[in-house]
Parts: sequence; C-alpha cells; structure tokens
Amino acid sequence: MNENHKKILEMLNEKKISVDDAYRLLNTIDSAEGSRESTPKTRTAVKDKPKYLRVTIVPDPEHEHSKDVDRVNVRVPMSLLRSGIKLASLIPTEARDKVDGALKEKGIDFNTRNMKPEDIEELIESLSELEVDIVSSKGEKVRVFVE
Amino acid sequence: MNRPPAWIRIKIQGERGGFRLWLPLFLLLPLALVVLIILSPLILIAVLILWPSGWGKWALSVLRAAYNIFCSLRGLKVDIQSRRETVYISIQ
Repeated sequence: MNENHKKILEMLNEKKISVDDAYRLLNTIDSAEGSRESTPKTRTAVKDKPKYLRVTIVPDPEHEHSKDVDRVNVRVPMSLLRSGIKLASLIPTEARDKVDGALKEKGIDFNTRNMKPEDIEELIESLSELEVDIVSSKGEKVRVFVE
Repeated sequence: MNRPPAWIRIKIQGERGGFRLWLPLFLLLPLALVVLIILSPLILIAVLILWPSGWGKWALSVLRAAYNIFCSLRGLKVDIQSRRETVYISIQ
C-alpha cells in the first residue's frame, strides 16, 4: 500500500469522502500506476524497432573458402526506405501516371497515389516480422531479414 | 533527424581492373555548406519565381527529402563478391 492509498483510506475514515468516491479514486490511482509500469515495455518496443533490412547469400559450407562462389551481404537502413518512399510521394502527377502505367504493363496493378505516410509506417512495422530463408540446390543459403 | 554520413568507401573490382574511393565526407560537408550559403540567394530567387505556379513549394520539399535520403544513407552496406567482380560500398 502506498501513500496515496493510505490518504484515501484516511479520508474515508474521516468521512470526508464516500465509499464510492474512495473506490473510484483507488481505481484511478491503480490504473495510473499500471500505465506508468508499462512505459518501460513501450520503450523496449521502440528500441526493438527494426533498423536494417539485410539480404545475405552465403555459399555452401563445403565451398566457403573457394573463390569461385558468390557472396552477398547487403544492409539497408530502414530510414532509407522511409525517406525513399517519402521522396517517391513527391513525384509529379504526370510522371506518377507514367510510372503506374509502366507497372501495369508489367502486370503490377499498383497506384502510387494511394500511398500515405501512415501506410509507410505500417509497411515498415510489418517488415519486422519478415524472414526469408532459402537453400538453393547448390547449397547456397539466401536470407532476407530485418535486425 | 539523422546526422549526415561521415565516410563513404567504395571498392569495385572487375576483370579489367577497378577503383577504390575513400571519401571523408565530414571534411567535404563544411565545403558543401559554404557552396550552399553562396548559392542560397539564387536558390531563394528561383523558389520565389516558381512559388506562384506551385513548383516552388514542391522544389523545397524535394530538397528536404533529398537531404533526408542523404542522411539516411548512414549505415548502408553493400558487399557483393562474385566469381569475376567485387562491389563493396559502405557508408558510415
């Protein structure tokens, strides 16, 4: 029991407040303390926000030291994706129509006008769960993930 | 807002040769700032001329977005090694 609880009970004892008021006050204090306790969790969640998109291609361990294999290690900051999409939203309407037309020709029915900043955040948030693991027939391991 | 990158390292190696570039941006950025200050009256005039047509605001937004992209480049790393070519780009 903390100081606030004691004060409320004392006020109730002194009949300064009713039982209902005391109950309401105690609930308010408990919910306020609960939200304060959950703040570090929120901070951790913010801290855990993905920072980089990684693409790696690692050769088969048997041929790892051979010079005749392909190796890829790409690290793209998430902030770059965010800024890139924001810059794309500044494309003039005429150019955007051309981009949409070209995408449609390739079979991608995507309207760049419908992209909003909230969607960008949602897209990047959902990328945090992305993980692609592929092992090719040659033994190469392809990984796409965020960290 | 992110800080602008301080270093750029580029190494490209092909069958016919290649090149290496090591750019200390933290030394070049003050120079770029001086150039920007010198050019700022011209930029301001251009923006004011374009403002009534709506392109002035757009030009300012593009400049801001381009600067944001430049700052967001910090941390980018591309390391690709194939049988014949090597590409290494690191921006710190």
